[in-house]
Amino acid sequence: MPSGESDAQSQPGASSVRYEETTKQYPGASEPAVDSLTLEVPAGEICVLVGPSGCGKTTAMRMVNRTVEITSGDVLIGERSVRDREPAQLRREIGYVIQQIGLFPHRTITENIGAVPQLLGWDKQRIRERSAELLELIGLDPELGDRYPAQLSGGQQQRVGVARALAADPLVMLMDEPFGAIDPINRERLQNEFLRLQAEIRKTVLFVTHDIDEAIKMGDRIAVMREGGRVEQYATPAELLMAPANEFVEDFVGADRALKRLALMRVGDINLWEAPLAYVGQATAEVRKKLAAPDVEIPYPLLVDSERRPLGWLSERDLGADTVPQRPDSPLGPVLERDDVMRDALADLLQGESQYAPVVDHEGRITGVLSVEIISEFLASPEAKSDEHPAVERPHG
Amino acid sequence: MASPLLLTAAGEVGGDFFRERSSGTLPCQAQSSHLFCWDWAKENIDRYGTPTVQHLEIVLLSVVIGFVVAFGLALFAHRRRQLQPPLLAATGILYTIPSIAFFFLLLPITGFGRDTAIIVLAAYTLQIIYRNTILGLANVPASVKDAARGMGLTNRQILWQVELPLAIPEIIAGLRVAVVSTIAIATLVVFINAGGLGTQIYGSGNLTFPTSIVIAMAIVMGMALLFDLVLLTLQRLTTPWRRVRQA
Repeated sequence: MPSGESDAQSQPGASSVRYEETTKQYPGASEPAVDSLTLEVPAGEICVLVGPSGCGKTTAMRMVNRTVEITSGDVLIGERSVRDREPAQLRREIGYVIQQIGLFPHRTITENIGAVPQLLGWDKQRIRERSAELLELIGLDPELGDRYPAQLSGGQQQRVGVARALAADPLVMLMDEPFGAIDPINRERLQNEFLRLQAEIRKTVLFVTHDIDEAIKMGDRIAVMREGGRVEQYATPAELLMAPANEFVEDFVGADRALKRLALMRVGDINLWEAPLAYVGQATAEVRKKLAAPDVEIPYPLLVDSERRPLGWLSERDLGADTVPQRPDSPLGPVLERDDVMRDALADLLQGESQYAPVVDHEGRITGVLSVEIISEFLASPEAKSDEHPAVERPHG
Repeated sequence: MASPLLLTAAGEVGGDFFRERSSGTLPCQAQSSHLFCWDWAKENIDRYGTPTVQHLEIVLLSVVIGFVVAFGLALFAHRRRQLQPPLLAATGILYTIPSIAFFFLLLPITGFGRDTAIIVLAAYTLQIIYRNTILGLANVPASVKDAARGMGLTNRQILWQVELPLAIPEIIAGLRVAVVSTIAIATLVVFINAGGLGTQIYGSGNLTFPTSIVIAMAIVMGMALLFDLVLLTLQRLTTPWRRVRQA
């Protein structure tokens, strides 16, 4: 391994990635797969390349580590052109995560994570320590280190895939639909884990997906691409949702616009349910009468203090006593504020495995109850569906 | 079996050996219908030592040479896909030549003896070893190779550290077939004066007194079983990851 090992550019952490009129023309193809792409990804950010299949997003990503050779133009990592580098050397500085994971079946988890450090000539002890550290970072039991990939679940394998990419502390991470083959529940979990991880490690990440929801969730910036790797809009998720640059972006973003609109709504914008309130020391008979009223949607009373600040939900057992007890049987669960973004509120509800959550004002006083049912009714309502563009249902295929 | 070529060869080549045999004492001669004569076996077991060693040498040399050639061809053709079908055809054609014909075709060139035997036996192993090596390499998942390349392994590192280790089961499966069939075919090299356990099988006296055939056969089968077990053990030791799947 001659030359360029400890390269002056590689400050620890992350480097920016800059495409400069980068073009990939496959021999025999009439159009370039990527046509003069210019794009800058600031250091430490997640940039999602999103677009329909065949738009060139994966080709664009692969030109960064030269698993696809650049036809013309350049890609700079930091200030350094990838074209000046020996490809194998270059790739050892770039984390690489692919949809099919591609763990080495014949190597243990520890050896898999240590693959790049081994190439870089780290000693065994250091590799073992780094592997253990990364297993902990991705939330896997260090004892799994001696297992083989076939002994792990798909989700665990993909976590190891991420850990392996991080092993040698790369300047840039390339992630090609990394969670695409994972079931929806685990995908959500892995996305969240990766976002938490990223908050810590702050790598520059190029993330390829065809799923706009994933793009909105993962991206600090999103490049919406169409055929030829043409960037139709490069913006933050909020900008993309609020101000699509053109019809293509609007169409691509808007397949289920209503759900995404939750990201732009506040809890206070919607009609909340009224909570049946109960005060400490109040006669339970009175509370029961309140519950029996026809317009009450919630089967449990909400215990509040004298300032109407929620304390918890009363259970049937609590109501068995003569008066309302001081401590409720069920914990309060998530509490939302009127200013919370609706999408986060929904996430809180789902995460708290809760059907309802009290909504409070700035002083913490109860103003109503948000339920999963309210949100789903809103999503099903013509108001959410029709929007400004009634005919947005995309044809199948 | 009734081929005139074979009978002539047996008469000519193995002649010395059979004369010696028929002149010895045959304790079980009275009951010639017996398949196996213990007394004779005890008395004559020594005569199997040299043929067994010869047999082993011929088999080992043939398989090692066959493996080196076939494995080399497979590696050469691995990244040159257009070479794979012609090489497969070439080794396949070698494999279809009848063994006795192959021996006698080579006689004018390499003469009687071990060299000819080893050339023929090695040629027979090429097909199965070559094919299985190519197959094993082709079975390595594309995603694993993509990941290896993306992490910065060179082509050579990918071959030796990723592709070949993962192809071990197929390669060893090929070797097992090659070894077992070579051990069996090597009983025929007696016809070109190359020795081996065939010397104890083919002979005029053996038609009425099969004990020697039974002993030689048992040694051949034992040898085949032993090599098969050794290779199977080798495969298990070199592929620990394949056993965990059930765990």
